[in-house]
Amino acid sequence: MDFAFGPEPCMAIGHDILDIGSRKAQAKRQRGALGDAMSPAPLELGMPGQFDLPNVEDPARYCRTNFASVCGTGDEHQAVKFAKGTTTLAFKFNDGIIISVDSRSTMGNYISSGTVQKIIKINPFLLGTMAGGAADCSFWERNLGMECRLYELRNGRRITVAAASKLLANVMSSYRGYGLSMGTMVTGWDETGPQLYYVDDDGTRLKGRYFSVGSGSMYAYGVLDTGYKPDLTVDEAIELGTRAIYHATHRDAASGGINNLYHMTKDGWKFIHAVDVNDLHYKYAEEKKNAMAT
Amino acid sequence: MDSVFGVCYNGGVILAADQSNARSILVYQENLDKIAELTSHSAMGVAGPNCDLVNFTEYVAKNIRLYELSNDGTKLSVHAQANFARGELAYALRRGPYQVNILLGGYDTNEADKSKEGASLYHLDYMGTLHKVPFGAQGYASYFTLSIMDREYKENLNEAEAITIVEHCIAEIQTRFMLKQPNYIIKAVDKDGVRVIKYGSDPSDN
Amino acid sequence: MARRYDSSTTTFSPEGRLHQVEYAIEAINNAGTCVGILAKDGIVMASERRITSGLLAPAKTSEKTYTLCPHASCNVAGLTADANILIEQARLRAGRYHYQYQEPIPVEQLVEYVCNYKQFYTQRGGLRPFGVAFLFAGYDEHHGFQLYQSDPSGNYSGWKATVIGANNQAGKSILKSDYKKKQEGEMDEDKEPEIPDVQEALKLAVKVLNKTMDGTGSAAAEKMELFTMKLDESKKCVHRILTKEEAQEVIDSVEQEAAAAGDS
Repeated sequence: MDFAFGPEPCMAIGHDILDIGSRKAQAKRQRGALGDAMSPAPLELGMPGQFDLPNVEDPARYCRTNFASVCGTGDEHQAVKFAKGTTTLAFKFNDGIIISVDSRSTMGNYISSGTVQKIIKINPFLLGTMAGGAADCSFWERNLGMECRLYELRNGRRITVAAASKLLANVMSSYRGYGLSMGTMVTGWDETGPQLYYVDDDGTRLKGRYFSVGSGSMYAYGVLDTGYKPDLTVDEAIELGTRAIYHATHRDAASGGINNLYHMTKDGWKFIHAVDVNDLHYKYAEEKKNAMAT
Repeated sequence: MDSVFGVCYNGGVILAADQSNARSILVYQENLDKIAELTSHSAMGVAGPNCDLVNFTEYVAKNIRLYELSNDGTKLSVHAQANFARGELAYALRRGPYQVNILLGGYDTNEADKSKEGASLYHLDYMGTLHKVPFGAQGYASYFTLSIMDREYKENLNEAEAITIVEHCIAEIQTRFMLKQPNYIIKAVDKDGVRVIKYGSDPSDN
Repeated sequence: MARRYDSSTTTFSPEGRLHQVEYAIEAINNAGTCVGILAKDGIVMASERRITSGLLAPAKTSEKTYTLCPHASCNVAGLTADANILIEQARLRAGRYHYQYQEPIPVEQLVEYVCNYKQFYTQRGGLRPFGVAFLFAGYDEHHGFQLYQSDPSGNYSGWKATVIGANNQAGKSILKSDYKKKQEGEMDEDKEPEIPDVQEALKLAVKVLNKTMDGTGSAAAEKMELFTMKLDESKKCVHRILTKEEAQEVIDSVEQEAAAAGDS
């Protein structure tokens, strides 16, 4: 095995990232195959600065067969199936905005993570939620964070939520048809009060009282539409946001994990809780049992 | 899935559009305003994806405003606005088109030549077709409403009569169309400018 | 020292002047005179034809008056070669505007466009200003009949009556006293004197040209080009250069009036 100090001087740390799919990488794989026809190509996993790939003969084919076609959602042509299963929601009420999300990340029928932070802190007064491609969401919302900071530096005041969401929508509409996958809610508190916008990958930008996005959104809407009213107390609102996510995670296989919940106030966002929906399940079951007993 | 239609009357033009936005099987909003005001005396009812709707109407409206600013307040006639919009649609057609079908209504004031004063309605599609029409409809609405307008339209309608026709059209869509379109916004453009006649749900209420 | 600032159009002299631009304007003041008069029912433009040689084949079209679009024409004073470039730009602009809006371009926008084009040549390095001044006559639905003049610097202005080219100062002073002259019979009334109609404006234009052109009082028809713009019944612009006979008629009537005035 030759690493950074081997016979090939060009093998500097991280260099092989550029080699993926190149003739050189192919040649190297064949050399390995000559040594032992049965063993997979030599891959240097876990080395600093290296790009980990599944330890199989053809990583691209492996991803295609395991992460894409099995889903049968018409995305079979994609080499890598994005993490898509999600439930996120946000609603405005008289005391601010509640933003509540799950934390499950799936790749096809494979749960790739159960502890994803789907609420992105753009700045102390702006939050974005993540649904769709994790990479697209986090990249473009970090990019939005940068643009918002630049706006502050240039203009000496915080950007409005309307403007911030428009920046994101403009990016989405300029990349329309390029396969981005993103459904987000941009929320915040600016001089015009609490604001909530929905922005998605085909450039749609809507202003509203409440939205839910993701594969479990219909279940969340069910709870939200039934329980929503503008004059909820903060505790009631937190309870509604928690319950809507819990019920969505219960019915939607692609949603689950932890319920992260934030409250947007005039002083910026406040973190409220991160509760395992499994615990919620037993808590609500207990409550229901007690209610039925009385 | 959007429904947009309009009727000219003596001294103005009525535009109406549904207020829904849906994505796949989910309804996201039911209080949108899809009738964008281009100038003080013209408005555009647009059927199409939210992205194209917003981008195209803002682009046209800001360009018309730019024209007024850079030409000492000279106003573009509704005819010129429609032709400008048509040109932009035709230009965009081969480079990622705006998927918008439009009814553009407006009122021309002309102190010098009273014969050029009055309301007009233009029908544009995303491919860049432009027609001046006395009444028109876009989207699925046209299947349900054109016959009603053919039946009820006559020259020199007054405002109330024109609104009645539009309301008949809305009632028909809400009876026969499979999709739910509970809310409609109706606007009038006349010598005093653009004004909202009524809406099903307040667009500013969010 | 002055020569240093002469050669460059884009450099101010220590006195804050752009010599090349000023020289270009000066060159126009020696060019054939053009008179423009806004009339009640149209516009009149009259220009001096300078006959260089009897052997020169007569121009098939006018060398002084050019149609830019169905509702605007211009008269040229200065270098015809330079003017051709600008006229081409104006025609292109008018055509493009019509293509974009399916409506005639407002006259002032057309004038402004040509003037912006001229101005560009006074600021870009390595370029020479256009040695051309124009009179623009046009009609639009916004402001009716309009008369503009422009100079090589890119300035333009709207006029009721004006003169460009040789002896324009003398011409302007006649216009000042004779435009809006009270008609016979109106003398006693207090009301604002009326502006001339096209026929009266033609005579006034010939009177001005007679004064500004070299030689003795009356000029021959072949030395003048008389242009009128009017509206027909369907409100369409009619551009017309008077025939030699028609021009002679106007010239003769001016002469008769002058003789009559001289007698009394």
